Amino acid sequence: MSEAIAVKNITKVFPNVIANNRVNIAVNEGEIRAIVGENGAGKTTLMKILYGLYHPDSGSIHIKGVERKLSSPRDAISRGIGMVHQHFMLVPSFTIAQNIVLGVEPMKGLFVNEEKLVKSVKEVSARYGFDINVDKLAADASVGEQQRAEILKSLYRGAEILILDEPTAVLTDMETRELFVMLRRLVDKGKTILFISHKLREVLEISDFTTVMRNGQVVGTVKTSETDQHQLAEMMVGRETIGGRIRTTCYAKDTVLKVENLSVLDSRDLLAVDNINLDLCNGEILGVAGVDGNGQEEFIEAIMGLRPIINGKITIEGKEIQGLSTREIRESGIAYVPSDRYRSGIAIDAMVWENIITGEYYSKPYSKGLTLVMNKIITITKELVEKFQVSTPGVKVKTGNLSGGNIQRVIAARELGLENAKVVIASQPTRGIDIAGTEAIRQILIDYTSRGAGVLLLSADLDEVLALSDRIVVFYGGKISDAGYWDEGIRDRVGQLMTGGLGE
Amino acid sequence: MGSIDFGKIFTLTLFASTFRMATPILLATLGGIFSSQVGIFNVALEAMLDIGAFFAIVGSVQTGSPLGGLGYAILACVITGLVFAIIHLELKANEIIVGLAMNIFAAGMTNYLLVAMLDATGVYQSDLIVGFKEVQIPIIKDIPFIGDLLSGHFPLVYIAFLSVWLVYLILYKTPFGFHLRAVGEKLEAAESIGINPKRSKYFGLIASGFFCAFGGTFLSLSYLNLFAEGMTAGRGWLALAAINFGSSKPVRSLVACLVFGFADALAIRLQQFGLPSQVVLMLPYVSTLIVLLASAMSDERKKKSIMNKHQKLETADI
Amino acid sequence: MTEAKKKSNKFDFRGLLIETGTQLLNYLIILSISLLIGALVIFLSGKDPVAAYAALWKGAFGNRLKIADTLDRTTIMILAGIAGTVAFRTNVINLGLEGQLYIGAFSAALVGFGLTGVPSYIHIPLCLIAGLIGGALWTIPVIYLKMRWNITELVTTLMMNYIGIRFTEYLIAFPFKDPEARMAGTPLLEASARLPKLIQGSTLNIGFIIAIVIAIGMYWFLFGSKTGFEMRMVGLNKDFAAAAGIPVNRSYTLAMMMSGAIVGLGGAIMVMGFFGRFLGGFSSGYGWDGMMIALLAQNHPLGVLPASLFYGALANGALAMQSATGVPQSVVVMVKGSVVFFVTVTVFVNYIKRRLEKWAA
Repeated sequence: MSEAIAVKNITKVFPNVIANNRVNIAVNEGEIRAIVGENGAGKTTLMKILYGLYHPDSGSIHIKGVERKLSSPRDAISRGIGMVHQHFMLVPSFTIAQNIVLGVEPMKGLFVNEEKLVKSVKEVSARYGFDINVDKLAADASVGEQQRAEILKSLYRGAEILILDEPTAVLTDMETRELFVMLRRLVDKGKTILFISHKLREVLEISDFTTVMRNGQVVGTVKTSETDQHQLAEMMVGRETIGGRIRTTCYAKDTVLKVENLSVLDSRDLLAVDNINLDLCNGEILGVAGVDGNGQEEFIEAIMGLRPIINGKITIEGKEIQGLSTREIRESGIAYVPSDRYRSGIAIDAMVWENIITGEYYSKPYSKGLTLVMNKIITITKELVEKFQVSTPGVKVKTGNLSGGNIQRVIAARELGLENAKVVIASQPTRGIDIAGTEAIRQILIDYTSRGAGVLLLSADLDEVLALSDRIVVFYGGKISDAGYWDEGIRDRVGQLMTGGLGE
Repeated sequence: MGSIDFGKIFTLTLFASTFRMATPILLATLGGIFSSQVGIFNVALEAMLDIGAFFAIVGSVQTGSPLGGLGYAILACVITGLVFAIIHLELKANEIIVGLAMNIFAAGMTNYLLVAMLDATGVYQSDLIVGFKEVQIPIIKDIPFIGDLLSGHFPLVYIAFLSVWLVYLILYKTPFGFHLRAVGEKLEAAESIGINPKRSKYFGLIASGFFCAFGGTFLSLSYLNLFAEGMTAGRGWLALAAINFGSSKPVRSLVACLVFGFADALAIRLQQFGLPSQVVLMLPYVSTLIVLLASAMSDERKKKSIMNKHQKLETADI
Repeated sequence: MTEAKKKSNKFDFRGLLIETGTQLLNYLIILSISLLIGALVIFLSGKDPVAAYAALWKGAFGNRLKIADTLDRTTIMILAGIAGTVAFRTNVINLGLEGQLYIGAFSAALVGFGLTGVPSYIHIPLCLIAGLIGGALWTIPVIYLKMRWNITELVTTLMMNYIGIRFTEYLIAFPFKDPEARMAGTPLLEASARLPKLIQGSTLNIGFIIAIVIAIGMYWFLFGSKTGFEMRMVGLNKDFAAAAGIPVNRSYTLAMMMSGAIVGLGGAIMVMGFFGRFLGGFSSGYGWDGMMIALLAQNHPLGVLPASLFYGALANGALAMQSATGVPQSVVVMVKGSVVFFVTVTVFVNYIKRRLEKWAA
């Protein structure tokens, strides 16, 4: 077998960080190569270099043994490299077929030949055995369909080497299995695949070889059949990963948050949450699992008063909160860590102290009458910054100048600094934070339960939910199903529920 | 005031002048659609109309032909679009603020050049200005009603309405249009398959200038052959409202332009009937607010019906 | 860890120096480019730019009275600039300052000539309040359309400009016409409604002091009060503010109304201090100047003061320049426009900062 693609001594430096440090990787034709590493290990930078989106500061790229300069995606495409991005690159108002041919449209005179366009897309789709309705608008396509469209987009352009960036992050287990079947078929037809992931189980299942990256460097490459999850994890983080915790059950405890018959529309006025019931007890961590976009985001926003509800009742310790303002809801005892931190978790142009007091600025001791009490604010926010180990030169610093992990800590300092919360809603609370920080935040959540609060923990990362939760519920298609209390079999149950497997 | 005879107000002439009054707004709208389809909110349409109107006069005087005027206007407006693009795309200034600056700068510039080039303050009117002539369309002009409605307009009126179709074809039928829309709707998607978004944005702003040049030329070289300070009278802003109403789609935006044109025509008509001009001249702006309100109301009605449907379903479950 | 902490607790002089230096140099570049563009235009039309700018300077600051007149112009600039600042800080795009200015000015005039036989110390405050209320009321349709129907204020405020200007034109053409006036306008204000002058021979009046007090008050309001904090957070990230429980709609409404009220007050002061009556078309785009000043001051209430002085001087010197050198005063408008072109350009700032950091290290 001959070499399909190789990078030699690639180095890429960004201000403050060496994203790739003398990276060497060679992949053979017809191989599935997994590239794994934690967030920030340099995987994505490397892929962007291979796709011509970034230019390396030094080092070279070799395709089929010949050194090539890739100065733009166009170059990469013409050398037979195709990329399937983690966030799909489809134009919502175009059909799947139009998306696939975008940039290489078949013509009839001056105009696009729509007929030939559809026909040629169908041909390619049939050649690789894809099951896809190409006349659908991308906006209406399911996540799996969108991904197939992305892969077809590359194949249509004659890609020989496919790069898939975290392809399973948004897929259900079922869709993931379908994807793997598809990838195997492509490899059989001689394609080469680079598969970027941090999900070790999947890597072990699909890849031929696995390259592990850490801090911008290649730690090593192993034959997948000769390794295991344990070894890969150790290579990735340089030490053992965090373990679980002692679980509690809440049979005899009180309900702190009760949701009854809740229905909510999403931004496009489609039913996102469909008649949901949920009880959260004090002292428990209730994990909420589910693939993104199954209604969990809208569910939380409705609880927080950020999204109108069509129907239903929400109570905290017996007090109804639906229809109240977000502030009143918070005052009845909810702390909230939003999932999209840049959208709704933080004002990046505001100072650190401003971000920390935003939930409480109007009450003592932060303010008196109409005025903010600055010296009190500074003292208290400084304490919180210290307690939550935010690494910052001071509290009078623009929050946007901090790193992603530290920004997440600022949010935690604001929301989880309130020790009297009865309900904590934490959506992806540790996303982008290093291991030490993750452990600290998890400990804070556990401390809440020991004080009698209930924690609702949402995460797209199943491992995080499994590591902390006493009980898990799963969102699928706007409905909720109970996966029960934590035990050895819960991963399988949750996995099946995420794909709509059990339930009805 | 009770003695106004509405039969005399709503005449064929009123509808014919609706087309005329809609024309400059429509041309600015089509220009603005190109910007908004590549994802730039172009608030400089007013400036582009102003500059177009002024240079059309200069060109007409210097070349002695309305086409010469149009040529000058196109050149000036294309440069305006280019300057906007450079400051926004190369120097990375905020697009709305650049647009606002453009409006102020253009007002100052046309005023300055009016003195410096044409030696006039406020208004320039002269026999040297050669304007466009009305076009009689053979056959159609002899059909009763339709002839009065459709024939006898200035050429730019026909160009404007035909351009709606042309813009539709460009945006929705050519690969070029596909690429422009892809850039505006999902920039990363366009970039990832090798479309250069910056080039598309340059094109969008320059196309805005191109169409506004026609709109400006219409203002100064059709009907009234003169240039007056502030003669654009907010038509660039009405165009933005039309784009907003039509979700950047040419045909839907046309509807709003016709409403604004009608309000304009009605205002002129009512003035002839002795209503205070100050009140009547508010009509186009008030009609804009009403159009925006009406479209928001119909959106909400749709949403309500969806919610009702869901609620009914739920009661049915029980 | 402790080492690093000690370092961070020390006051960061170098950082402050770089920050201030960057800002100053950036302004220097923006103003130089804009004045150069003006000079180029003057040069291309066959006039001497140096002589023109010298005449402009003399017209603005040539003697005591000229300085006083410039400060009088600065008054309306400050108020319009503050009005822009409070809106933009909340991310409320109020482009309707011009219309609000007219309505505020007319309301003040109405109370000024309509109310007779009251002493100054009552009449003046009443007129000023009328200006505040008039300007604020004119924003209500905009607020309603935004809050209830989610229609962007960008277009609606503009439409309200045209409607407001036409509406006041109608009022002075029909119901409140002064038959004796040469220009269309209301009757003259009662003497008790005129603002006391500060200097003999100039129109500079106590309105200037009111404007400065309002600028300082706005600084306290935005950076020291609870409500100001809410508005700033809404301006920085609305979704974040909403998720944290800040009443977003209230902040929006308040910002829009305060903005209208303050520019309306500016209109009142012009009527009561300068014109003595409401005149049709009296504002030569002061609302737009306010918007530009707010942008130039980066929405900082105290930054509005020097920016307003710059714009006031341009406005006051322009006429002197025109009569002395024959350069049309509209060149000043081009300079003002150019300033806005470059205000949000970040390329210069980043470049200067990098150079300064290198130089300091």
